[in-house]
Amino acid sequence: MIIIEDQQKLLLAIGETIEKPITAYAIGGTAMMFNGLKNATLDIDIVFTKEEDRTIFIDAIKKIGYRHMNSTVVYGAKSNQPKMYSLDTERFDLFLIDVIDFAFSEDMQKRITQIHEYGKNLKICIAHPQDIIIMKCATDRTKDLEDAKKIIETQKIDWNALVQEAATQVRFGRKEAYFDLGEFLEKIQQTGTKIPQETLDKLFDLSMKETKKKKQNQKKHINHQHL
Amino acid sequence: MKTELLLKRLEGVQTIDSIIKLLKVDRQKATYYVYRLRKAGYIKTLRSSTTGQRFYRISFQNKLKGISYYDIINKHSPIQIVAPMVYKIYGRKPSNEETLIFAIKTQSVRTILAAMALYRKIDNWMELYHLAKENHIERQVGALYDVARLNVTKVRRMPKRFSKISLPKDNYPFEYIIPGLRSEEYREIGNKWKIYIPFNKTDFEVFK
Repeated sequence: MIIIEDQQKLLLAIGETIEKPITAYAIGGTAMMFNGLKNATLDIDIVFTKEEDRTIFIDAIKKIGYRHMNSTVVYGAKSNQPKMYSLDTERFDLFLIDVIDFAFSEDMQKRITQIHEYGKNLKICIAHPQDIIIMKCATDRTKDLEDAKKIIETQKIDWNALVQEAATQVRFGRKEAYFDLGEFLEKIQQTGTKIPQETLDKLFDLSMKETKKKKQNQKKHINHQHL
Repeated sequence: MKTELLLKRLEGVQTIDSIIKLLKVDRQKATYYVYRLRKAGYIKTLRSSTTGQRFYRISFQNKLKGISYYDIINKHSPIQIVAPMVYKIYGRKPSNEETLIFAIKTQSVRTILAAMALYRKIDNWMELYHLAKENHIERQVGALYDVARLNVTKVRRMPKRFSKISLPKDNYPFEYIIPGLRSEEYREIGNKWKIYIPFNKTDFEVFK
């Protein structure tokens, strides 16, 4: 567990260790802490858009004393797992563009609401709350549901933008994005949090259309093979 | 009431009277709430220069400490601006030169106008030139300096070397400071730097 004050000190220490300017995006619990929605987080979730930036960051945290750990312990067999580094009870989950089944899209990068600079070289951009929901849907651990619930209850959510982002993810090849998000929001609804029914309906309609498309493509492929 | 809930309900700029009205509590209780929020690090107090009244800027961001470019602009400018987004810097204090470049890069009329006051505070012209060059805005910085010399008091003279290396060549096209925005005034300065100036003379009345 790490609280906001310690996280600030840690990021500043990393910022002072880094020698080349890099940009990273905070998602998950870390982004929630920057938005004042959480007091502490188990892991510091960060997304990089360049492998080079991630390498520089890893070199810096290694100098501080962080050691590599196996990500399958936390993420099981999921794809696009992060590189994980830990020290005592603190942990970094360092993703590269993809966060499990979802991509940290350019639209998400444009929607950032906060920028925090540590020293001269470390720039941390904070993901928009509605994008944190999408990322929480991707990681889908027990605590992620609770966190997403808290965001929905305390922040003004643009539900249309959320559906739009799912569409972007589908365009990127994450064909199950509508279904995954719909299922995740339905789980939250079952805990008593209000989710607009039309958003859920829209997501499942789009999900059905996507499945039909997939079946048609499969048929076409089989016919093509017979010919 | 929990401190987090208090923060959520009072976020923004408040006075004791507005807190009394908003939470429907007496003055003593309102003062106690301010004390609790301050203790948690959520309050920055400002005092009105004319009436002496206290204003409380209540935000979670205050807890994170750090300094923003907008804080520096507000410190030196007669035009106060509300930051359109959170941009905080930790572990170092950005220079006035860096802040001026940031302001020009925002392409926001009000931010650039407020930042014109920073020309009074420029000590390191070489740093300003290097930062401007890095961001390809040397001409914008030079043109705005000429406008500042005419309208903002106590702006120090720019070294001749700065303008010598920043002035455009004949084949350079005109550029905007704020896309699509050009004024009919300051034509001469505009032609010298091949820049469209977005301000009118009346915009600078507060600086005099």
